Amino acid sequence: MKRRTFLQASAAGIAGALTGTAGLLTWVPRAHAATITTAYSITDGYITQPDGVNVYFKGYSDSATGLNVPASSFIVQEGDTVQVTINNTLGTDHSFVIDGVVDSGVIAAGTSKTVSFLASTAGSYLFYDKLNTPYNRAVGLHGAMAVMPTGSANTLYAGSPSFVKQLFWVYNECDPAVNEAVRTNSTPPPLSSYVPRYFTINGLSARPPGAPGYDDPAINSYYDPRTALAGYIGDRTLVRVLSAGLCTHSMHFHANHVELLTRNGSVLADIWLKDVVSLDNNMGSADLIYPFDPPPDAWPPVSTGNFVMHLHNEQTQTSGGGSYQFGAQTSIKFK
Amino acid sequence: MGMGTACYVYPGAPATPGIVTPDISFDRGVYMNGSVTMDDGRAIEVWGFTQGGMMGNQFPSPPMRVREGQIVHTNFTNNGMMWLHTIHHHGIEPSTENDGVGHTSFDVDGSYTYQWKASNAGTYFYHCHTNTVLHAEMGMYGALIIDPPDGSKRAFTGAPLYDVEAIWACDEFDSSWHTLNWDAGTCGADVGLNDMRPDYFIISGVDGASSALTDTRAAVSMNAGQALLVRYINAGYTPQRINFGGLSGDVIASDGRPLPNAVPATSWKSTAAERYDIMFYPTTPGIYEVTVEYLHWVTGAVIGTARTRINVN
Repeated sequence: MKRRTFLQASAAGIAGALTGTAGLLTWVPRAHAATITTAYSITDGYITQPDGVNVYFKGYSDSATGLNVPASSFIVQEGDTVQVTINNTLGTDHSFVIDGVVDSGVIAAGTSKTVSFLASTAGSYLFYDKLNTPYNRAVGLHGAMAVMPTGSANTLYAGSPSFVKQLFWVYNECDPAVNEAVRTNSTPPPLSSYVPRYFTINGLSARPPGAPGYDDPAINSYYDPRTALAGYIGDRTLVRVLSAGLCTHSMHFHANHVELLTRNGSVLADIWLKDVVSLDNNMGSADLIYPFDPPPDAWPPVSTGNFVMHLHNEQTQTSGGGSYQFGAQTSIKFK
Repeated sequence: MGMGTACYVYPGAPATPGIVTPDISFDRGVYMNGSVTMDDGRAIEVWGFTQGGMMGNQFPSPPMRVREGQIVHTNFTNNGMMWLHTIHHHGIEPSTENDGVGHTSFDVDGSYTYQWKASNAGTYFYHCHTNTVLHAEMGMYGALIIDPPDGSKRAFTGAPLYDVEAIWACDEFDSSWHTLNWDAGTCGADVGLNDMRPDYFIISGVDGASSALTDTRAAVSMNAGQALLVRYINAGYTPQRINFGGLSGDVIASDGRPLPNAVPATSWKSTAAERYDIMFYPTTPGIYEVTVEYLHWVTGAVIGTARTRINVN
């Protein structure tokens, strides 16, 4: 599948996320636990990278004819029972795993399986295919789930600092040699020779001003509404950062330090203020709040402006071996 | 090296919005013809900032040091006919125009005065933010220290006093990148900037193979009973683990902000562009060999080591 088709599927995913039970922006806490159902189809296809190269991916997609990388995220609350039906349309075995929560076991080629689990602990979770680890995950079979604290619309965990808005950032990298090996069911290169050429947040790379697609939020991670930080002063935004990839990363935030609440699923006893947040290799994660305070070092003081969040292991700011500014980056807009 | 071939650059040199008389100012220019001789005898090309004009070869670039509360001017002059650069004061959070990010504002073509306020004491650095993947690798960075308002020898107001200070900017070179033009890859060519394979490991501009063991830009000399503040900057792209040679320190601040509680540590991990301020109070004379291990970003394996010393007399 080419990018254009992918984008239509993706846009449909966003629209769904804004309205139904999966809606982050419309999340309304419930007094009682519920049973939440969702479904994905495991599909494959090609996604066009910023340098025009088409690369093979697999995804947990919204439909059997689309391709979503990452999967559409969903949100539940503590105590909910979650039922996920996975329809594996491919000719290869896959699985659906949230570490410590649920493991579907093998979902054989051409079959469907429904898993059910209790969302017992508030937090941010990556679901992924654990077969052929880590390669099936790296070629796109991953997505994010949030579990909200019972009765709360604005905290990460009971008693956490509060937020106004929340986002997921699912990071990934792509070494096309790995994707091709997965496509052909052959042995991928060893991790020591893994050389990613594309770097994404929520499946998209950045485009700088003047580049084709710069104004298109369906292509440019700068303006993807799932990804971009945009707010007025005080619009404290929780970012649930989950890496599906293999590499160690280093997120650098301009204009504000962030409040770092968790790393790798553990709540931190002290909240550090950081302009750089590490993301560990092999599925590192973090939850942080971008406070949207006035940029503290501006003189004269300002309350508006355009800034960036980018990875500071700067080789991630490239695409296809060059093209600085076409990597894992998004915008921070003080409106 | 002309600028005619670059893509996705944004030349400009506007007036500084709301410019005022600063409390302190720094002049910075650019050199593109520096060289560092490594311990194996090989000369590696480096670029950097001068104290004004195009003459200079200091690597890392000359430090900036200010006091909390000051209004600072960084007067940057760059010959845009030859190449484009910016200065991003990393960890400083000014207005868009003064943030030094080319694609949100401009790559400096001529002269621009960055105006900002030093609001939080701590350890920062400054670096070029044009084709950053290459320019920072080429050495275009320097330390930026904000002292407390009273100028006391503390990392921040309320922090412990120190007697001796060390700034360890730990970096790595992939020498194969050090032959590229300033605009390499910007028009889409595959120049290998996704694939860093470092072959030299550096502390504050000194080869960590052996020179940094004794070079005073890295090695520390102090007396037993004194307090040492190490300002540790991960100036590279590779995850690092620094081991303090048997000493235990207190990590008291990171990224220019105090930690709510100091963390005792005999080693510490960091990733690109993090800074940590660490206090040491050695009481036993000796030579403490500090090692900085550079870790493979996927496997975590040690791919290189830089060494320096804390000599306690």
